[in-house]
Amino acid sequence: MSVVLRSTLLLLITLLGAHLGMAQEIGFSSSVDRNAIATGEYVKLTVSLSNSQEGFAAPSFGGLAVVQGPYENSSFNYVNGKMSSSVSKTWVLTATKAGKYTIAPAQVRVGGGVIQTEPITITVSQGAAKPADTGAAQGQSRDANLFATITLSKNKVYVGEQVVATYTLYSRYNNIELSKYELPKMDGFWAEEIDLGNTGWEDALQTVSGLQYRVAILKRQVLLPQQSGKLRIAPMELTCIVNRSFFNRGSSMNVSSNAAELTAMALPGSAPADYKGAVGELAMTVKTDRTSVMANEAIELTITYSGKGNLKLLDAPEPEFPTDFEVYDPKVTDRITVNSGGMSGSRTYQYLVIPRREGEYPLEPISFSYFDTRSGSYRTMTADPITVSVSPGVGGPSAGIQRPNKTEVEVLGKDIRYIRTGDLDLRPTGKHMFGSLEWIAGMGAPALAFLLFLGWRGKRDRDSQDVLGNRRKQADRVVRKRLAEAEKALQGSDRASFYDTLGKALHGYVADKFGLGPAETNATVITQRFAQHAGGEGLAAEYLKLMEACDMARYAPVEDRPREQLYNDAASLISRTEQTIRS
Amino acid sequence: MNRFVLSFVLIVASFSLVRADVPVEMDSLTAQATRTYAAGEYEQALALFDSVNTRYSSPSLLYNIGNCYFKLNDIPHAILFYERALRLAPGDADVKANLELARQSVVDRVNELPAFNLGSTWGKIRGGNDPDQWARRSLWACLLLFLALTTAVVVRLRILKRALFALSGLLFFATLLSVSFAAYRNSEVKDDSEAIVMTAKVDVRSEPRTNTTVLFVLHKGTKVIVLKTENQWSEVQLANGSVGWMPPSTIERI
Repeated sequence: MSVVLRSTLLLLITLLGAHLGMAQEIGFSSSVDRNAIATGEYVKLTVSLSNSQEGFAAPSFGGLAVVQGPYENSSFNYVNGKMSSSVSKTWVLTATKAGKYTIAPAQVRVGGGVIQTEPITITVSQGAAKPADTGAAQGQSRDANLFATITLSKNKVYVGEQVVATYTLYSRYNNIELSKYELPKMDGFWAEEIDLGNTGWEDALQTVSGLQYRVAILKRQVLLPQQSGKLRIAPMELTCIVNRSFFNRGSSMNVSSNAAELTAMALPGSAPADYKGAVGELAMTVKTDRTSVMANEAIELTITYSGKGNLKLLDAPEPEFPTDFEVYDPKVTDRITVNSGGMSGSRTYQYLVIPRREGEYPLEPISFSYFDTRSGSYRTMTADPITVSVSPGVGGPSAGIQRPNKTEVEVLGKDIRYIRTGDLDLRPTGKHMFGSLEWIAGMGAPALAFLLFLGWRGKRDRDSQDVLGNRRKQADRVVRKRLAEAEKALQGSDRASFYDTLGKALHGYVADKFGLGPAETNATVITQRFAQHAGGEGLAAEYLKLMEACDMARYAPVEDRPREQLYNDAASLISRTEQTIRS
Repeated sequence: MNRFVLSFVLIVASFSLVRADVPVEMDSLTAQATRTYAAGEYEQALALFDSVNTRYSSPSLLYNIGNCYFKLNDIPHAILFYERALRLAPGDADVKANLELARQSVVDRVNELPAFNLGSTWGKIRGGNDPDQWARRSLWACLLLFLALTTAVVVRLRILKRALFALSGLLFFATLLSVSFAAYRNSEVKDDSEAIVMTAKVDVRSEPRTNTTVLFVLHKGTKVIVLKTENQWSEVQLANGSVGWMPPSTIERI
């Protein structure tokens, strides 16, 4: 009975009582369910007050120990316009020593007076040597009237194979409420609840060791062992309240089930390379919605795993696609039912792939390995090969832009860089270009060359302005040329030509040497010019004599000396003049 | 006219003389060393490279020797040769990378003082792998300067003459600049004040004498600056500014 209901009733009583003003006679009594008990047994003391709302205190129990209580109970009757109500308190008492115990009268103050109950005497005899049950644990799992079990569908399975665990409550009580139950913690299992719908008592009774029980399946689980070895499921703990009624609070019982044990066998070691932990009786289908598309059109690739097994624990398949395909994360659809037969159904992975370039693309065959629990061996299924043919898209071949996922280059190790190979560009040790003789020469040479160039150029410019100087400088060269001609004439015995050439040579030489014009070429000027140089007078006289000899011989057949000597004299004169008159 | 031919020959000769020729057998030695290194016989490769290094040197050669030492797990010598290579070729990325790796196994971590940093600009212009870079540039700048001057003197067109003289002015500054850079690089290259600790552990003392206070302890591979050496003791300075005395036998100059 809920608190709300009870307080509503009390409110009603109060209202009605006030309105009607017809209070019934007040009764106050105490009673025990029995007067004689053995030590360790219980006696129930009930104190009831009728037709009054006053509260009363607990009486003195005279040395008896309180095991439970007080439980409060109130009742209300309304018959033919007459209202009656009662409030009672119940204690469960016990004694550890034999003897006589007297429960003192309970007292209540009503309408100015005090009324009290009769005292009660309890005789406690020495009971059997069983330990006194203290605390609330009235019911044990050993209680033949109420117990719970954990049963497993199999006791020996492979790791990953399904086992169904059933948690059952057996009861001989008619009225039973589960106040709380604690399921064991699952260590080493992956557990999946089986939806039982509305749980309740089974229709049929079950007979266990000669007694008939009502049976309720509290829970079913599919267990998948995740590790090999002996696995233990701890007992389930239940707290039940039995025999509860409107008037009776019932009694609380703790029930603890058996512990279940299971042997999980490790899978054989020879697993295929692509094995990813699938266990059961499974199958795979691979489908594509189409295999011939235009570039940039989507293809849907569907991989379905179906059957009975650990479908919910399956890893996503990793189909390999060409790099020209853009692949999106798969969409996962589960159609998995979990019932007392275990986990079964299908899991579907839908991959959306978009080929970005045209071409024929044979896809890597998709394979799937699982451990078959029926045969106790691994099985590998390989789907039929699929070839996708992609024709150029609407925008032509260039429409697709291939965008592979970029990742950082991973640094796996560190080492020094490799040595230099080939030409090491060796130099003599300690030899540096800066400050070396070669460097200084290299720096100085252009400057030197430039200075030399400037000097040469300056001299040339000066010379080109100095006509007389040039003429004088040329004089020697010209006269040598003419003398050579004269010598030729001498050998050719051409007398007239010889004298003519020699005379011109001498005349021209002097004119060039002193820069004289035609009018100035006379004996006076020549003598004067020669005289400006030391030792020039003798040369002037000799020159004039030679010129006279040449003129004479030209115009008259007179030769004062042989022609060879004349020539030699002229050459000698020029030579000496060059030495005497420098520039 | 003969004089100009002569000076031209002189210039060309001076340029070619700077490239000192190396005997052919050195090339075959280095090739052999490279092969032995590739085969993983580092000790032999080191001996071969060392035999070349007795008379010849280059950043690449020093780098290769450093690699041999690294592979032989002689980290202080590896650091020494990487530092030597880096001094000749301050911009060499390979040397830097390997030196960085070698320094990771050095025990001492010396916090460098925040020194005045010429920054990356100087790092860029002081030359990557060629220690003679600025000396060579100065030669070219000088040659171009006088070529420009000569042309300016010869040319008759007035605008051209002026432009060439302006160019000569620029080239004059370029020459000055490159000569000063070359001089600075030369001082850097010839500076041997830095040294690497070669022994596993060395006590650095407060005075050039045994049984004086130990200021700090250095381990192999740490770089120090040698301030002076007297009476078999070297005064060294760490990058963090600490100064102390240690025996010169425990360090090797870069």
